[in-house]
Amino acid sequence: MVNGPLTGVRVLDLTHVWAGPLGARFLADLGAEVVCIEAPFGRGPRVFPEEPMGGWMGGEPAGEPWNRNALFVKLHRNRRSVCVDLKQPQGKALLLRLAAEADVLMENFSAGTLDDLGLGYDALREANPQLIYLALPGFGDTGPYSRWLAFGPTVEAMSGLTQMMGYEDGEVRNSSTALNDPMTGTHAAAAVAEALRRRRRVGHGERVELTLHGSGVAFSGPWLVAHQLGEPLEPRGNGHPDMSPHGVYPCAGADAWIGIACEDDTVWQHLAALVGADARLNREHRAAAAADIDRQISTWTRQRDKHAACLELQAAGVAAGPVNAAADMLADVQAGARGYFDFAEPTGERMPGNPITMTGLDSSAWRPCPKLGEDNASVLLDWLGMSGEDVEQLAGRGVLHDAPPA
Amino acid sequence: MRGLAALSEKRAERVLEVGGHAAGYCGRLFVRAGADVVRVETTAAPAWASQEAMDLYLHAGKRRLKDVDRATLARLADTADVVITEAAGATALEALGYDDWSCPTKVAITPFGRTGPRRDWRATPATLLAMGGQTTLSGDADRAPLTIPGHYLEFQGGALAYLAANAALFEGAGRTSDVSLFEVSMSLTQFSFIRWQCLGDERSRHGNAYHYLVPMNTFACADGAVYVNVVPAFWDAFTVFIDRPELLLDDRFSTNALRVQHAAELNALTAEVLAPLTRAQIIARAEAARLPVGAVMSVAEVLDDPHLAARGFWETVEHPTGVSVRVPSVPFAPAPAGHWRVQDAEAQSPW
Repeated sequence: MVNGPLTGVRVLDLTHVWAGPLGARFLADLGAEVVCIEAPFGRGPRVFPEEPMGGWMGGEPAGEPWNRNALFVKLHRNRRSVCVDLKQPQGKALLLRLAAEADVLMENFSAGTLDDLGLGYDALREANPQLIYLALPGFGDTGPYSRWLAFGPTVEAMSGLTQMMGYEDGEVRNSSTALNDPMTGTHAAAAVAEALRRRRRVGHGERVELTLHGSGVAFSGPWLVAHQLGEPLEPRGNGHPDMSPHGVYPCAGADAWIGIACEDDTVWQHLAALVGADARLNREHRAAAAADIDRQISTWTRQRDKHAACLELQAAGVAAGPVNAAADMLADVQAGARGYFDFAEPTGERMPGNPITMTGLDSSAWRPCPKLGEDNASVLLDWLGMSGEDVEQLAGRGVLHDAPPA
Repeated sequence: MRGLAALSEKRAERVLEVGGHAAGYCGRLFVRAGADVVRVETTAAPAWASQEAMDLYLHAGKRRLKDVDRATLARLADTADVVITEAAGATALEALGYDDWSCPTKVAITPFGRTGPRRDWRATPATLLAMGGQTTLSGDADRAPLTIPGHYLEFQGGALAYLAANAALFEGAGRTSDVSLFEVSMSLTQFSFIRWQCLGDERSRHGNAYHYLVPMNTFACADGAVYVNVVPAFWDAFTVFIDRPELLLDDRFSTNALRVQHAAELNALTAEVLAPLTRAQIIARAEAARLPVGAVMSVAEVLDDPHLAARGFWETVEHPTGVSVRVPSVPFAPAPAGHWRVQDAEAQSPW
């Protein structure tokens, strides 16, 4: 078990895809006991029709494709897995009993899905008035869009970011990285930690709702205010309204780039000395001459490897960073020195670490992603005192599973 | 006073906030939870909006101090229940006296963390997003990678600082946390590390498309654009959405891998169907077909979004200049949206 500040907090994780599992991973990395409640086909069918987007752990499905989906594995360390069919009456009863023992239940089904199963907040609160119920719907349980489906990229389009992102004005641009998912994931974990503290004060649990849509809109806050103040809003490519020069510049090699940002006149003098530009220009003049300055910088960067250019720039006191891909980051000396990629799954793949380093907390006790239903017996024993015989009976009746049904 | 503190018999929790936009975002979350947040003003960090706009969004409900000397800062930190400090590097953090502050729950936010050979490297959000694997994913294949504008990384770092602080406060034993924005960026991308290690493939940039799923892209329509998101399970629904059920029998598109292979044809076909329709018509079709589709909205349209209005999403914030604006509420706030004020920075310590 992870010895963290949330040790002893029991979380039932009914989330899927990205935002919810990411939020639950942050909680698990801080010590919470997170039990995934998984549907028998929740990780996919017995035989995957196609290779999943992230590939297979170990490079192959190895006869258990549902346990080898790399994207799933990445998000589910430090969990226990109970695989239960919630459509069966005994499965529902089991979830209510587990909820009675839990501190937190997280779900990101479409609005109303758990209600339709008879497992909505009212039923869960009756089972456990102390339960913190975190719902992560796309648009929320109320409002005209409440029944719409939402994925990260579709709600990103509705957040205002498109107006500000792009190479030039007038184009329609999306990050293509589903930003609303990680926005919601971090806030989901923060919401749970806040709610745990509030419960201690008020003496009862609550339902907290965090939407994929609202998370993205919140991040547009400064632009939403700026618009009301009459400030101009337009995409600036890789430029910045407050820094000049500021951009992504080509380096030696195929598709090699470096980000450089000049925060003030002193930094500019250092940068200008390196690239042979006029060090006397102030920010307004630099902004006015941005195209020429970018050409000068590009001429300098094109002659250098992106990592070598970065070292030169940093040595001169200029903020710079190579545009890194996965292999770069896995080899990064800073990440290595801090042990960020130290944790590996049994198949050997190194996993991103926890961006919260905390006294008394380390990754030495981290557990790999569990197999589907791997902890059916142990969780039901630990939480409910159920015997192995009880568990076998439930498995025999198709309530519990450790693989997708044939 | 609302939230946590209003429900406490004790005094409101004291939160000391020092630093830029990441600390400011963290402090904003504490304010909405009812804490007594004191922000020590430092040199304004570069921003994507005016200082007035940043103040209205981030700093309403806080008490703000200017011209704070090191001794006063230490006294404030020793009196606080939580200290959130953002600094340009590890040495800059230590220069504030951070390690000497006796507050048991402290969170430091720095570009690269407090340890390691790059603990003092200079950085901005854009250079960190580049190093942290985000920038390589956005933009067009034949052009420079495209940085995410705005304060995404800082706000994410602030949210994780808030998580760290609340987790430590929940435990009650006192812990100090070290949040590296570089590591925050690396933690928040989805495919990079996995695809590289499992498939030997570096995910790169493909315009607005997701590339591994088709169609998943932006499409122009009669009054703007929409984003269509078709994962394999939605393929049947998609053919209904575009009223082309015969595609179910088209060998070019029978699997996701084939749809990726024939992406240009499928995207062109989708574009042709959607071009004459309005956003509202497309959304109505998507709702009927149970397909995730989003209308591309301007900032002004977001402010007028009837869904956000119906959900009471907006708060009102007043500036000392008399300006009043709507700002997004904290997206997980349990209380109804409120009315907040930005205060002028003062020179006298409140605690």
